[in-house]
Amino acid sequence: MHLDLCDDLVRRALALGAADAEVFYRKVRKLEAMFEKNDLQVPKGDTYEGVGIRVLLGGSNGARLGFAATNLLTSESLENALSAAIAIAHASPEDPNYSLPEPAPTEPVTDIYNQSAEERTLRDAIDQGRLMLEAARGADPRVTLDSAMYTIEVSEKAIANSRGIRLSEKRSLFVCQAMAFARDGETVSSFDMEVGASSRMSGMDPAALGRKLGEKVVATLGATTIPSFRGAVIVAPYAGIDLISPPIAFSSDAENVQTGRSKWKGMLGTQVLSPLLSIVDDPSIPGAAGSTAFDREGVPARRLELVKDGVLNHYLYNCYTARKDGVASNGRAAGSDQNTPSIGPTNFVIAPGERSLDEMVAACSKGLIVNRFSGNLDEVSGDFSGVVKGGYYIEAGRIICPVREAMIAGNVYDLLRQVTGVSRESVEIADMRLPYVQFDGCSVTGKQ
Amino acid sequence: MLDLLKAAISGAAGYGEIRYHKREQTSIEAKNGRLARVERRTLAGAGVRCLVDGCWGFVSTTDVTPGGLRKAISEAAAAARIGAELRREKVALAPAKLAQGEFVYYDSAGEPSIAEKIQLIMAAERRVRERSSLIVASTVRYLQYEDEKYIVTSDGAAVHILDNKPSFHVTATAGRGDQLEMAIKSWGVTGSWKDLLGKVSLDRAADDAADLAVRKLDAGYVRGGQYTVILDPMLVGVLAHEAIGHTVEADFVQAGSVVQGKIGQKVASDLVTMVDDGAMTGAAGMVLADDEGVLGQRTVIIDRGILRDYLHSRESAEVLKAEPRGNARAFTYRDEPLIRMTNTCILPGNDDLDQMIAGIDDGLLLREMGAGGGQADSTAEFMFGVAEGYVINHGKLGELVKGITISGQAFEVLQSVDAVSSDFVCSLGAGHCGKWQPAKVDAGGPYLRCRVTVGGRHE
Repeated sequence: MHLDLCDDLVRRALALGAADAEVFYRKVRKLEAMFEKNDLQVPKGDTYEGVGIRVLLGGSNGARLGFAATNLLTSESLENALSAAIAIAHASPEDPNYSLPEPAPTEPVTDIYNQSAEERTLRDAIDQGRLMLEAARGADPRVTLDSAMYTIEVSEKAIANSRGIRLSEKRSLFVCQAMAFARDGETVSSFDMEVGASSRMSGMDPAALGRKLGEKVVATLGATTIPSFRGAVIVAPYAGIDLISPPIAFSSDAENVQTGRSKWKGMLGTQVLSPLLSIVDDPSIPGAAGSTAFDREGVPARRLELVKDGVLNHYLYNCYTARKDGVASNGRAAGSDQNTPSIGPTNFVIAPGERSLDEMVAACSKGLIVNRFSGNLDEVSGDFSGVVKGGYYIEAGRIICPVREAMIAGNVYDLLRQVTGVSRESVEIADMRLPYVQFDGCSVTGKQ
Repeated sequence: MLDLLKAAISGAAGYGEIRYHKREQTSIEAKNGRLARVERRTLAGAGVRCLVDGCWGFVSTTDVTPGGLRKAISEAAAAARIGAELRREKVALAPAKLAQGEFVYYDSAGEPSIAEKIQLIMAAERRVRERSSLIVASTVRYLQYEDEKYIVTSDGAAVHILDNKPSFHVTATAGRGDQLEMAIKSWGVTGSWKDLLGKVSLDRAADDAADLAVRKLDAGYVRGGQYTVILDPMLVGVLAHEAIGHTVEADFVQAGSVVQGKIGQKVASDLVTMVDDGAMTGAAGMVLADDEGVLGQRTVIIDRGILRDYLHSRESAEVLKAEPRGNARAFTYRDEPLIRMTNTCILPGNDDLDQMIAGIDDGLLLREMGAGGGQADSTAEFMFGVAEGYVINHGKLGELVKGITISGQAFEVLQSVDAVSSDFVCSLGAGHCGKWQPAKVDAGGPYLRCRVTVGGRHE
């Protein structure tokens, strides 16, 4: 029993002089079929098991922290890890904000573990991947699957600390992802991608995903250049995972707030985004890729209305940053057995809006749909610039043509305050759920 | 351990390879007066690769008992067999100089305790802040990979490797009003703590980073355009690694990189000879035997302007009829070997740096990579941020300028080289090269005089 191992190590850490100790255990079995240029690459299997040990030594001005991790679960290696953690703590300065959390009731999340996943083999991963490949190619012979992957992961995490936390959780996760392009003679389309995830193999349809991807890239064949303009940009969900969710997650991270890197320092209860935007971080969504009952420190993770109608309601906390702000952790400690706890969202959801994508396009006099974004975004300042992939040009309420070699640039924090539309449609991409979001006043640089 | 692996591999069907790799990783980070992070990790296990019916199968496991290894081999072979039903291009391996015996890269005796390292790193971070009242933020980051590997292949490689790759990354941010300027000093070695500090002293790096950040507050910008420039050894290394090196990795060549089919052709000035050399002692990308058990050797990629060779794994070498020289590398036991660079350098020439400067009427001396990093693609078109630029006017070195990026097509830049200094430094910094998995690499060379496009800014 893995919790017994955690308990035992906590006891041994206390015996070595720790005032408090925490042991995080993780076990993963992962099977992966990878494809490149329409051909199968190396099928892979991995079995991993490891622990991360955190110890706190008491002091008059706070605690000293030590951390060590090992995936060799022999008594010698565990002993070494324990003494390394203690030695690091002895050599570290005291900090008043280190503490371990007390036990609190957690609510199990439904449908994140499916026992049948334990029986799956590499053959399943290869067969499912093959369905995706054949469907993408079947959609149109001009399609090339540049890279694609089907993975099956069954994992377990367990945590025990000297305050009495004892928790464990199992999960299964099937992920199917692919990136493709189409070629017609000398004409090459944009690269585009699709990602699907489910806790059950039957919860995903790799053939449908492959077909959809194939159709998407063929549709961008024959893209033309456009003139530069300043106007509306409709950011599609796959572009949103690069352009919209990272700056929001970054700025609501309490560590970035406390170190002054977040623009949202001191902004709780104030308008930080357009009133059209509401953002929920929800670890309780049944079956979702980011769902969990508790975080990296064993703190219950519950639904947070991070931003409501543009008003910032919460920062994301782990225990260290929460104590520094004099509040309770809201269970957003992230990371695995190999690292000390960081901070991160769980399932990041931008609430869908009122209008359909078609209505948004119809209301647009001049604009661009950005399906993917490839470029740089500075999360501190919000400045971004990059290339539009799989873009479509809109004029007088109609999609005119696919676009190539267009660049967009601007400041994402400014643009997120000037949102003019959020679509009713929303797309689930692994642990994110994003609608189409329309910015106004974005500068588009074309090549005409 | 070698005997255990040899016994296990003897039962493999087809070609088999077992790598036992134990990594002890230490990270220490001091930031703005606080010890932000200290972590010690052990990551150990076996990566097993089998080639059956022209397809690979790869299985990694923490169970390195005889039973566990046998199970991993049979699973890897089964994966390969299933994969072979679908795989279209069949894989075969080129013959290679296989390594045998002990490969010990460093002496761990005299390595300071973690407590001593923490003290020194916190002191260096304090030194950055105390150097000037204008310093508003600082970090000192130490990262160490201590690796032990045993590699056995069914066709005769049998090696034991002890390797240590530590690095430092020092940043200083200076501020005045709402203006902020950052400077970075970073370096790495294959060797001990002493070797790392022997390459650059931590105090020196702290002072240099702080001084540069402060000087950048008063520096101006340069007008964009085509310039004759002198690239310092680090920028030459960035060019060699990022812009040229990736295009000659045989898997990228096969995927259609710009140098496909160009062996024997003139791709650079006669003054340019470029190598990749895993055997370069002390460099951060030192690899004496790669993860396929192949001996690390020097590959001459460009010989006096002529493209001579690509970088290979045993698989790509068989397809392109070349000799593999130790470029198949895996980051951890859980990764399969991929074609990677080691230490990629342009070799020194006969020119003198002062004379090279004196020969420029209107140009720039450019030093070190900037904070923004850079990018390059398979067409060898690149864009890099530069940390420090110095105006050269009528052969005289002038003031510091900032905000510089350089871009161009790397082979065109190498064609334009008209002077190569006799200096040589291999120091790319502290980072990793990323290609699905990270790898520690190094790169460098002499000072080069060439033509590039400089992106500047008008103020």
